[in-house]
Amino acid sequence: MTSTAQDRSALLDELGLNGQNRATIGRLLATGSIGQATERDDGRMEATIRINPDELCWDPSVLVLPHGGDVELTLINDDLNTHCALLPSNGDRKFIWLVNHSKGRATLNLDGPGYYWFSSPTGNDEGRGLTGAIVVLGDVPPEARLDRPEQPRP
Amino acid sequence: MTTADYVDAGEAVDQGTLNYKTPGADTAPPVTADVTYERIRNAAEEPQNWLTYYGNYNGQRYSSLDQINTENVKRLTPAWVFQAGTTGLIAGASTYSFEAAPIVVDGVMFVAGWDGWLWAIDAKTGVEIWRYKHAVPFDVSLCCGNVNRGAAVAKGKVFFVTANAHVIALDATNGKRVWDKTYGDVRAGESATVAPLVVKDMVIVGSSGGEFGVRGHLDAFDVDSGEHVWRCYTVPKPGEPGSETWPSDGEAWARGGANCWLTGTFDPETNLLYVGTGNPAPDFDGDVRPGDNLYTDSIIAVDADSGRIQWHYQCTPHDVWDYDSISECILFESDGRKLLGHFDKNGYFFVLDRTNGERISITPFVDRITWGAITRDGQVTPKVYPDKEGEPVHFYPGPAGAKEWTHAAYSPKTELFYVPVQDTGATATRRRREFKESIPYWGAGVQVDIDDMAGSVSAFDANGEEKWRYRNDLPMCASVLATGGDLVFAGKPSGEFVALDARTGEQLWQFQCGSGHHSSPTTYSVDGRQYIAVPVGWGGWAEGFLPGMLGAGHGSALMTFAIPE
Repeated sequence: MTSTAQDRSALLDELGLNGQNRATIGRLLATGSIGQATERDDGRMEATIRINPDELCWDPSVLVLPHGGDVELTLINDDLNTHCALLPSNGDRKFIWLVNHSKGRATLNLDGPGYYWFSSPTGNDEGRGLTGAIVVLGDVPPEARLDRPEQPRP
Repeated sequence: MTTADYVDAGEAVDQGTLNYKTPGADTAPPVTADVTYERIRNAAEEPQNWLTYYGNYNGQRYSSLDQINTENVKRLTPAWVFQAGTTGLIAGASTYSFEAAPIVVDGVMFVAGWDGWLWAIDAKTGVEIWRYKHAVPFDVSLCCGNVNRGAAVAKGKVFFVTANAHVIALDATNGKRVWDKTYGDVRAGESATVAPLVVKDMVIVGSSGGEFGVRGHLDAFDVDSGEHVWRCYTVPKPGEPGSETWPSDGEAWARGGANCWLTGTFDPETNLLYVGTGNPAPDFDGDVRPGDNLYTDSIIAVDADSGRIQWHYQCTPHDVWDYDSISECILFESDGRKLLGHFDKNGYFFVLDRTNGERISITPFVDRITWGAITRDGQVTPKVYPDKEGEPVHFYPGPAGAKEWTHAAYSPKTELFYVPVQDTGATATRRRREFKESIPYWGAGVQVDIDDMAGSVSAFDANGEEKWRYRNDLPMCASVLATGGDLVFAGKPSGEFVALDARTGEQLWQFQCGSGHHSSPTTYSVDGRQYIAVPVGWGGWAEGFLPGMLGAGHGSALMTFAIPE
């Protein structure tokens, strides 16, 4: 049996794939919420990512940026356990320790297009569900594109 | 603070700051500040350094250092090991490989890793000075693993490319970005793996993506500003010279491949870059692109100032076996002639006059060649190829070639070439598919043999005469290094790093490094002590060059060796 796109969310819930210690031991990756960063007038982007109590899942677990560049994140740990975050950024990955009930910040610089994983690299938070994605939309600069007629895409 | 207030977790920090260093040890001395074109041009005069990808513009991968030699090499022991490992989910999580050639300048090593890493390391102690990590998209198109072949240095900077086709200049003292340019389109399937080459005031890089139906190109950027200087497409547009070798109707040329994914060599006297180009696309379905398909599978001589192709020599016209000619063009002189030597994937050793591309000699360098034959006068006769839909065809060498990208070396002392040889076949079954941007465009199903294979390091003179052969049960899939100590260093897929007598091929020393070799060892000296450095990390396109070792463990160690003090 296969699911359809329409009933994916319901099936995840029915099968227990969207929470801790239901069907799986932890939470299946990339089954959390999706959020979009907001863009300021100067082009910088901002977003908030939380860890909700006992969910071991980033909220949103998929953050979408409209384009590459700088994004300022607010990171909130509302969980009753300590976690951390390791985030992609050009230059070096950004690390922050997030004790219970804490709030911190991270400034990332990312190219687009493409997507990147981030996680909480402590214990097996990554396998339990604290692995999320940052998706960057857009295209490469015009000068980086091939000199050829427009080609078909999937 | 009330119970409702959050604890202030502060601002996320660079992960590298959580790798303790003594105060001030995170800054390198300005060793590359006065690395100029003149110094790189005369790199042979400072053998304590390995200033450019091949050690020298001539591509010989030879160092005159002779402290480690045939007499004492049996005493060679590890001096230090640098290990980075991997963290989190990365692109090519199962296919990353440590392929770089370490650059060394006055005691500081610059080495690129997989997934956007570049490290500055104390070349004497192995201690990290600084690191740069580019964020590489997880979904970038990679035909052959998350790999990078190394860095270049000049004028206070370190240059390298990223898998998402950026070329980046870093401040060599602290690893901070100076400039960052995008030179490929990841949505079209382009990527980058090449070690840049600094020539004059330019950083020269090529593109990857030949398995995705892109149009290959070389690009030059200004060393100081990053301003784009020129682009050289390696497949001509309709109406340009060479376009007559592509179908006059349709857009086969626009998807033609010919990527320059390996560093070229350079002769300051001819002012020509000698660059090998990659396979045509689709790799195995030639019916959609009748003709010779220039400048795929070619040696091209490119004017360094203008970026224009001055002459070319095509090693495999109308390739349907994936025989990139990306391999290095080693520059040497013989009988007063300026020549180049090139060991091609198709199993033949080409020697050309590098002033004009005139053919001097063509000699097979591997035992089994069944795809076709090339006579000494350059006549190419294909014999077996996947021309019928759904019909399997077996041929030697397989698509990784009798030698893949890993480099040969040439010793001006022995006047011999040393080449890592892969004697492995493959079966291709043509399966036509429509072209769509960013989707692999091979035109066949391919399976490389997992038995009946062999390898060697073979020594040839400039006439193509084999002088000795060091045999190995497995194909040899790593670059070799020749030294003034009359030694040839080579790494095996099974992990052994060996030193051979350059005159006889006799094995004089070995060390088991714990993972297969698929990189380019270099040598240097600090405070009068010679070191041999070799990145060790099996992976990359192992299903192409040695699928019988797909189950071998990965590694990520940079190992150095020296004679005990």
